[in-house]
Amino acid sequence: MANYDPSFAREVFQNVDFGEEIKMCMQCGVCAASCPLSTEMDYPPRQVFTLIRAGKREEVLNCNSIMLCTSCYTCKVRCPRKIPVVDVMHGLAHYALKQGFVPRRQPAVFGREFWAQVYKLGRIDEKDLPRRYFFSEGLVAGIKGTLDFMDVGLRMLLHKRMKLLPERKIKGIQSLRKMLDKAERMGKGGAGA
Amino acid sequence: MDKTTGVYICTGCGIGDALELDPLKELVSDEYGISICKDHPFLCGKEGVELIKGDVEGEGVNTIVIAACSGRVNYDVFDFGPDKIVERVNLREQVAWCQPPNEEDTQMLAEDYLRMGCAKANDTEPPVPFQAEEEYSKDILVVGGGIAGMTAALDTAKAGYRAVLVEKEAGLGGFLAKMKKRITMPYKELTDTGADALIQAVEEHPNIQVYTSSTVEKISGGPGLFSVEIKTENGSASERVGAVIQATGWVPYDASKLEHLGYGKFKNVLTNVEMEQMAAAGKIKRPSDGKDAKSVLFVQCAGSRDPEHLPYCSSVCCLVSLKQATYLKEQDPEAVSYILYKDMRTLGQAEDFYRKAQNDGNIFIRGSVMQVGESGDKLFVEAEDELLGEKVRLEELDLVVLATGLVPASKPEVTPMIKAPADAEDADEDGMIEVLPDSGFFANSALNLEYRQGPELPTLKYGFPDSHFICFPYETRRTGIYSAGCIRRPMETAKALDDAAGAAMKAIQCAEATAKGIAVHPRAGDMSFPEFNMQRCTQCKRCTEECPFGAINEDEKANPLPNPTRCRRCGVCMGACPERIISFKNYSVGMIGNMLKAIHVPEEDEEKPRIVAFVCENDAYPALDMAGIKRMNWSPYVRFIPVRCLGSINLVWVADSLSRGIDGLLFMGCRHGDDYQCHFIKGSELANTRLSKVSETLDRLALESERVKFVEVGITDYYKIPEIISEFMETIDEVGPNPYKGW
Amino acid sequence: MKYFLYWGCSLEGSGKNYLASLEPVAEVLGMEFEEIEDWNCCGASISYVGAGDLAIKVLNARNLALAEAEGSYDIVAPCSSCYIQMNKVNHEIGEDPELASKVNACLAEGGLKYSGKIRVRHLLDVLYNDVGPEKIREKVQKPLTGLKVGGYVGCQSVRPYGEYDSVEKPTIQDELIQAIGADAVPFPNKMKCCGSGIFLSEIDLCLTLVKNILGDAVAHGAQLVSTVCPMCAMNLELYQDRVNKAHGTDFDVPVVYLTQLMAAAFGLDLKRGAALDCNIIPPEGLIKAAMG
Repeated sequence: MANYDPSFAREVFQNVDFGEEIKMCMQCGVCAASCPLSTEMDYPPRQVFTLIRAGKREEVLNCNSIMLCTSCYTCKVRCPRKIPVVDVMHGLAHYALKQGFVPRRQPAVFGREFWAQVYKLGRIDEKDLPRRYFFSEGLVAGIKGTLDFMDVGLRMLLHKRMKLLPERKIKGIQSLRKMLDKAERMGKGGAGA
Repeated sequence: MDKTTGVYICTGCGIGDALELDPLKELVSDEYGISICKDHPFLCGKEGVELIKGDVEGEGVNTIVIAACSGRVNYDVFDFGPDKIVERVNLREQVAWCQPPNEEDTQMLAEDYLRMGCAKANDTEPPVPFQAEEEYSKDILVVGGGIAGMTAALDTAKAGYRAVLVEKEAGLGGFLAKMKKRITMPYKELTDTGADALIQAVEEHPNIQVYTSSTVEKISGGPGLFSVEIKTENGSASERVGAVIQATGWVPYDASKLEHLGYGKFKNVLTNVEMEQMAAAGKIKRPSDGKDAKSVLFVQCAGSRDPEHLPYCSSVCCLVSLKQATYLKEQDPEAVSYILYKDMRTLGQAEDFYRKAQNDGNIFIRGSVMQVGESGDKLFVEAEDELLGEKVRLEELDLVVLATGLVPASKPEVTPMIKAPADAEDADEDGMIEVLPDSGFFANSALNLEYRQGPELPTLKYGFPDSHFICFPYETRRTGIYSAGCIRRPMETAKALDDAAGAAMKAIQCAEATAKGIAVHPRAGDMSFPEFNMQRCTQCKRCTEECPFGAINEDEKANPLPNPTRCRRCGVCMGACPERIISFKNYSVGMIGNMLKAIHVPEEDEEKPRIVAFVCENDAYPALDMAGIKRMNWSPYVRFIPVRCLGSINLVWVADSLSRGIDGLLFMGCRHGDDYQCHFIKGSELANTRLSKVSETLDRLALESERVKFVEVGITDYYKIPEIISEFMETIDEVGPNPYKGW
Repeated sequence: MKYFLYWGCSLEGSGKNYLASLEPVAEVLGMEFEEIEDWNCCGASISYVGAGDLAIKVLNARNLALAEAEGSYDIVAPCSSCYIQMNKVNHEIGEDPELASKVNACLAEGGLKYSGKIRVRHLLDVLYNDVGPEKIREKVQKPLTGLKVGGYVGCQSVRPYGEYDSVEKPTIQDELIQAIGADAVPFPNKMKCCGSGIFLSEIDLCLTLVKNILGDAVAHGAQLVSTVCPMCAMNLELYQDRVNKAHGTDFDVPVVYLTQLMAAAFGLDLKRGAALDCNIIPPEGLIKAAMG
């Protein structure tokens, strides 16, 4: 029999972006019914909130649900308690990764590469990002992934839908990074301004 | 009254296109000897009304038969003063709009309705309002000095009437005064109870007489004429009042029956009422050692919505627990409240407070308690968490609060027993049987009415006084006695205030109407009242037993003693009386009998059956009109007769109709049973019971029982009318013509 | 009608046919665009992996601050993902002064400041509310008569605020489709997410989402699907053969930008104006047939 432990809920309220919003959940299940991928999830969003309330830290920070969100915002639009479910899920995923959990490998890898490029260039390079993503798991995986996507890339190229020149850093990249670094320090669970 | 009758036929709204006028006019003069019969294309217009007024003044017409639209419309246009008799014949909704125009059957239908209208007008006398010999009182007695009672008294006084407030405790305030805070509009934060200010306002109001430490010893008489005897702390007092409000409130469900939730077993398990009193007294502490509580679990529906305990939802316990969890948060922001619920029910705007409590960080668990136990000096609760889908254990609890429900103060702890009738099957060995809740002998003592039907208000099965919660809140089954607050149904304080105002207004209305000799809801304004021809009474007691409002007392020889001010004018007594000695000036057994006689019954070989439908004028008749307005069609062989209530139907009408060759009888009235819609509570049920005994009559006449049928028709059931009628017509077709035709 | 056009990271690449058709269409409609100087990526849906919420807000606030310093026009985002990111941050800053000051404290690191004066709008909003179906109808030279177009709205284009169309039952894209003479084919899944946020990382799940959208559009009679988002367009078009392989379907549905259809209807060159040659599943046949 599980023991109820409110300390994890407190942890979520304090450290997770939008974490305190889940207090308002009344467990109606509209989010679960609206989510395009809830059937693929370990727990639908509603249930994730129940687990937080019951103090099930491992289950929550390890569940694939928090990384399968496609950001379609249907849940947020429909929640009768106006909980920004999307934002909560993103917050939980970010927090889980920071705590060393990997709730779902591929989106975590892709997302890491995505943000690295934003931080590096200020923009996304549509050619470079997939390449980095495929190769981030090693050479073999990289070659396989590239080959698998060869058809897609070729067709894009043939139909003029690939920018040929590599994306350059934006001019203000240095100041952008300073802004982002400061935001990370000031953000929830950050080191402070 | 010497009658000069005028008949006025409107030819507007399609009536003139559907009917031939001359035959109608001829029958008025030939069959009823009425010489004034006129038609007008727009009778409800200025010119039409002037036409009638001209005859009233010029010809001395005092009895006016208007053959036009339904009597449910234009009643204000066709009002020619209280001394004129107006009879409406519905040629529009129930002839022209529901039958094909210019057909023989349509014409015959109109002619029959006109005959019935003339017959009825002939038997109608203008009612004279009842006036008692004693002086009427318009003071209002309020029993119970909690939030509902105090507010009712105050609202009464503010409206300019004197209120008499009787409270059994030494001080006013009831549960309100025992609370720390309350949650009310706008449901965002806790609010002061306001008890002190309310008590002061009541005590200081010059128009309120307060009796504390007092009870009502006896109430006799009726509305406008109640004599009240009050037992006070040191003696007694008497008051005369016009109406009564019972606001005796609630008691908490007996928690000693909740041992399975740890009550009585562990010191730190308490009820929400005990929690409230502790909070009001100061701090929320552990009764076991007086230390501050830091972790509290609220068990919602403790004994509520449970067939073993209180089967219903008290609607306030969720809010009470949210309030008490808020007390705890205010006392110690680090303290934790768990709320273990079945469904959170925070009605209406109270949802906002639920949001607040969620935002405060209280933890809500949907599920049920499996065990409450003690481990060291702390409590634990094991529960089935429905949404987690697991059994869970909550430990280190300082308090477990049982959110118990509300029981009406009227509900007896032990059901009273009475001597069983000889044929009762479930009597005990001493020949005693449990009193039913809807008896006046069931409820706990509060009013001590000197009524033949018992000293208290009849109740519903859970002990709340019987009233129709949608159609007529505050009304009870005793005219002029209204209920307000938690005695009526469990409610939060904001609703109790509304209730108090509503009941006070009803009570004042009743006192005023009674003084004028007119009826209260639902026949508001009716001046007629039943008159008893006592020479022919056989003391059978049916009227005194069946009156749904306990209006008729009995003397020691079982003679009925009517109390006209208690009467709601439904006519149930008239329907009950086997000797037909009860009648109204404008509604009587003989009058309906003459209307039945006015119907022309064709010979058998004409193959035109005749059906009479007695129709409740509160719900079924409007449904019929609605069906007409929607231009629905049905058999032209049915003649509708509106009645005040199906309970007023006297069985002699069945015999009268059938022996005249009427082929079938339909009774259209309100739903009865637990979810009754009868405006007179018991009327349609009584009618149904009486009809089930009609087979005797039918057997005597050697007729089939299918010829008589009862159907429930609600006001919104208009779309069922054609089907109901065609089904019945098929039945009649199968059983064949009534063999008494032409006798 | 002058606007800041927020290009975003796709419009020069995978969204080439969007930009290539938008520019001539805008010219016909009298819309003028200015690029926000040195704009940065909006962070799209997946940045949360690497960044906290405040950082993502600051990322977007930088674009808003740059625009505010440059002029007072509305920002038009042709990409739904860019739109939702920027618009959301703009709303949140506007509603929460405490957040606004935090964001500004971060912007100050780069000498920027945002006071909340800029409006962020989706291209669809501008086309419908500023230009309007009437004016678009006037400019039509070759109505796309009889062409059955499933107007796919996608998830992020009107959410979460529903500022210019219903979040549950949007209709304005359909009205614009009707304005250029084509038949709008409403289909219930036109609001369902295509999964472009997991385009590369969760391909199988993405294919199911694409299948449900295309299948629904076709079942309701659409001959081609129009979109107003480069993410949706890429996902729905590029993955059709993979969907066919994985789910045994036989989709061959052209996916075009609404602006491409408008360019064709305005009588612009089908290549240089409508950029139809950029489409992988060719829509020319259908469009030419409709133009008669």
